[in-house]
Amino acid sequence: MKVTRENIIWESHQKHVPTIDEEGGKLWGCFRSCFLQSAAPYTEGIAYKILKNDLGIDLREAAGHTSCGAIGYHGDVTNIETQMVVAARNFAVAHEELGVDNLFSFCVTSFANYTEMIHLWEEEPELREYTAKTLKETTGREFWIPHVSGGRPSVVHASDVFYANRHKLAEKAKYSLKGIKAVDHIGCHYGKIFPGEAMGGVEFPQVLVGLLEAFGAEIVDYPERRHCCGMGFRQCAFPENRDYTASSTYKKLASLKEAHPDCNLILTNCPGCTVFLDAEQGTIKEVLEEEFNVSILDYAQLTGLMLGYDPFKDCGMNAKVVPVEPLLDKIGIPYDKSKTFEERRRPF
Amino acid sequence: MGKLVDELKQDIQYQHGMNACLNCGICTAVCPAAEVYEYSPREVMNICHTEDEEWLIDLLKSDKIWFCGQCYSCKPRCPRGNSTADVILALRRLSVRHGYFAESEKGRQQLFAKRVFGENMLKRGYTLTAENITPEHFPELGENWEYYFEHMKEMREWWDVPMDKENSAGSHRVIPEKDMDELRAIYKATGAIELMEAVEKGMEKKLGSKKEVEKYWENWLETADSRTYEMKS
Ligand code: SF4
Ligand code: SF4
Repeated sequence: MKVTRENIIWESHQKHVPTIDEEGGKLWGCFRSCFLQSAAPYTEGIAYKILKNDLGIDLREAAGHTSCGAIGYHGDVTNIETQMVVAARNFAVAHEELGVDNLFSFCVTSFANYTEMIHLWEEEPELREYTAKTLKETTGREFWIPHVSGGRPSVVHASDVFYANRHKLAEKAKYSLKGIKAVDHIGCHYGKIFPGEAMGGVEFPQVLVGLLEAFGAEIVDYPERRHCCGMGFRQCAFPENRDYTASSTYKKLASLKEAHPDCNLILTNCPGCTVFLDAEQGTIKEVLEEEFNVSILDYAQLTGLMLGYDPFKDCGMNAKVVPVEPLLDKIGIPYDKSKTFEERRRPF
Repeated sequence: MGKLVDELKQDIQYQHGMNACLNCGICTAVCPAAEVYEYSPREVMNICHTEDEEWLIDLLKSDKIWFCGQCYSCKPRCPRGNSTADVILALRRLSVRHGYFAESEKGRQQLFAKRVFGENMLKRGYTLTAENITPEHFPELGENWEYYFEHMKEMREWWDVPMDKENSAGSHRVIPEKDMDELRAIYKATGAIELMEAVEKGMEKKLGSKKEVEKYWENWLETADSRTYEMKS
């Protein structure tokens, strides 16, 4: 039954993302993430290296593009009109100044935000008119909508590009995840706001599972797999609300450990999950004296490790709360054992 | 129907997020906020559904609308295609515009949201900057983060993600002034500046003076906990 249902959902939630072998698949424009550049900057660093050096993508970003502002939108300091015009401006900047048609964002909240605005423009012609008019008046720029996936008005997320090219990446891999148990944690804003825009939908998202499988991992399931990490915008942003975040992380990891005590790898595609599922394990250890020791890796960090990039200098594992060495040992990835734990993490 | 109910119903996000609620409670069952707070998305939807002006005002003055984590777990699960997450956004903006947010502890946190996410956008073009993620406010990031924070520039160079480069592509770059001007013009024309000003005004009214608002802000920066500021009323 489950397989049948999975197949039906999979059929209806396919989205096309151009691979590097297809027309247009080697030229991409991208939008940076203000969350990543503040809390985990190395993840965009390793993603850049892989996309450019290993996939040979001509990756362009305009100096003048801004944050989509969606942290402020879900944090209630902007209106939906603001989001529409800022999105339209970023699209126009990419198209006019860089000559790109295909765009992705590094943040899942940006992906959801751009998708939401595109949907609004499709559903409400007067909002589309408002956006085009306000964009012209405030910036002098021309309204343009990207059509990245299957010729429909759409943008995609960076992890979609990794997924689309996963077999190419797996061919180049120096290491394998054979015998390693792993599970995905999809960012809520990747699949839950617009399930139709998620690779595989919200029930059986394939974007990260596909990548893990391409590298040979054994995928496990657990009851709270789709529960939110607890990032929660204003919940994680202000320390006095962060028990919300820690509780959600606890709920998830306790559930994973009960089902699969030997699973020590969760793959993420959202900046919030990448940072907080890891960091709150530190809080839990301190407050409850419970250790989960589950490494939380972003899709680009894991791919970087598989391709043989340096775990610390390139993939930024030195800023993680959960020590990554046991996982590296398990996979068989070498690192400088003559250095101490601290020395590997503190180069200066 | 009252004036606020009318205003709420004008909001496109409310129109899209609220169809008919059948009070089934599925949203509450999956909601992470309902698990840790005295919060229920079903209750929020119910109150809106009554279109009762008094109940709506009570809701806008309460902590409830600020508990939501905006994860949208509720959206794909609702059998009626509602989105409490979107209704919440419409309610929060209504609460800010009318100053009701300042009546609740969680609502008053809107001052930090405005001064961090909002002002960052206007100054730097980002909602968050590297300097915001301080070890004091994010102790869970641990000792390695403290080390990083002390060596931020060098660490970023080492990771090949240098910061604050002018007129360049890259992470945490300095966005050209002409682009910042365009962004500010958009924020003004689309009412974001006005919404942000409503936060300052609402706080001033509640706390009594601009000076008190600064005291509240300084206290938060220092203690990372707004509850240590003593409210007079
Ligand atoms: S899931 Fe939908 S219909 Fe059910 S209580 Fe929540 S909003 Fe109402
Ligand atoms: S978006 Fe808000 S109401 Fe909906 S499930 Fe998440 S926390 Fe609950």
